[in-house]
Amino acid sequence: MRRGLAALAVAALALTWAGAANASVSVTVDRIGVATGLGKRFAFRSTVVNSGPGEARGLVAHLNVASLRPGVYVDPEDWSTSRTRYLDPIPAGGTATVRWSLQAVNAGSFAVYVAVLPADAAGRPPTVGRTVRVTVAERRTLDAGGILPLALGVPAVLGLAAGGLALRRRRFVSAA
Amino acid sequence: MSAGRSAPGWWVVLGQELRDVWLGGRGPALTFAFSLILSAVAYLVATNTALNFLEQREAVGLIVQVSVAMGGILVVIAAADAISGERDRGTLEALLLAPVPRRQIAAGKLAAALSLWPAAFLVALPYVWFLGRGVGVVGDAVVVGLLVGTLLALELGALGLVVSLFAGSNRVSLALSLFVLLALFAPTQLSAGAQQGWAGDLMLRANPLTAGVHYVGRVLVDGHSLGSEADLLVAPAVAAIVLATVALLASGRMHLRPGGAR
Repeated sequence: MRRGLAALAVAALALTWAGAANASVSVTVDRIGVATGLGKRFAFRSTVVNSGPGEARGLVAHLNVASLRPGVYVDPEDWSTSRTRYLDPIPAGGTATVRWSLQAVNAGSFAVYVAVLPADAAGRPPTVGRTVRVTVAERRTLDAGGILPLALGVPAVLGLAAGGLALRRRRFVSAA
Repeated sequence: MSAGRSAPGWWVVLGQELRDVWLGGRGPALTFAFSLILSAVAYLVATNTALNFLEQREAVGLIVQVSVAMGGILVVIAAADAISGERDRGTLEALLLAPVPRRQIAAGKLAAALSLWPAAFLVALPYVWFLGRGVGVVGDAVVVGLLVGTLLALELGALGLVVSLFAGSNRVSLALSLFVLLALFAPTQLSAGAQQGWAGDLMLRANPLTAGVHYVGRVLVDGHSLGSEADLLVAPAVAAIVLATVALLASGRMHLRPGGAR
């Protein structure tokens, strides 16, 4: 019983320490809403603030994207090619700003957020900034019906040109 | 054939070869066949009404990759015929008797073979515009296609010319050139898993064809900037310079018989 209580106390202490480990770091974003169209690029900045007494080292900032509506497949890699940044040490009271560039590749409502976690993060929760809500308007990007005149027209023009040339050559040869 | 007083020999050869390729019917016929292939590919991808934004970008990437690859095939077909074709038709002797240095003959023939690439690229432009205008990648597609296609056309043209110089017959020259071309393209069909790791990455970057095709994909499909993946263009650029130099140096040994007997 005494051994069990001791283990519980150690676990509670560890959890408290883990929660406090990132407590000195906070994340802010420069905007919380983006309205854009399908295929458009946009960007926002996140700032990591070290309000602790010591230097914050080995922090990793990670960008994530999630759909706020069911039925929309989201691959965050398609939205941004550089989603993980390894931050330089941040001195006590200092900040580090990261610019995130994204491209809206799906239509709908999405949540974009930045999580900061220490490199030796085993078991510790990340520090997460406010969610940026991204609303992407649907846009028609391809008129499928329009391909037929092009798909037939280009070979037809080239075929007529090649045929006309061949006919002319044949006439020239037979005349000679 | 005689070189004009002011025009350099390779220029005279180029003019003659351009007439042969384009007025002789081979160029228009190959370009027509190329447009049929592009039409089939573009029709198949564009009529998929469920095509989302990314898949449409992939479609543009596919059209550019097909254009670059087919443009390379057109150039290699023309270049592989350049010398061995003259041998087979019995016209090489007359060509060698012309007062034009052999390297200039080869340079003129290589330039004429390369003329198929800009023609193919012009044919591809309407398809690129149609598929890419809605997703804003037309400009990138034109730049990337022109850059990669020109490098690949130069190296494949030079390769075809080297093979044509030493091949015993035109049939052997064409077969060998196309075999090498297919062997270079084969790694593009490997699964993504096989291209991981240092060996896969090395193969991808060292092979000028896979490197060029991947550059197209990275820029047009993955949305990377033109400069961020420029290291993928090192192999195509080096191959183009080296093979063109080898072709011009080797053409000094151009003989009536491939073995060197006059």
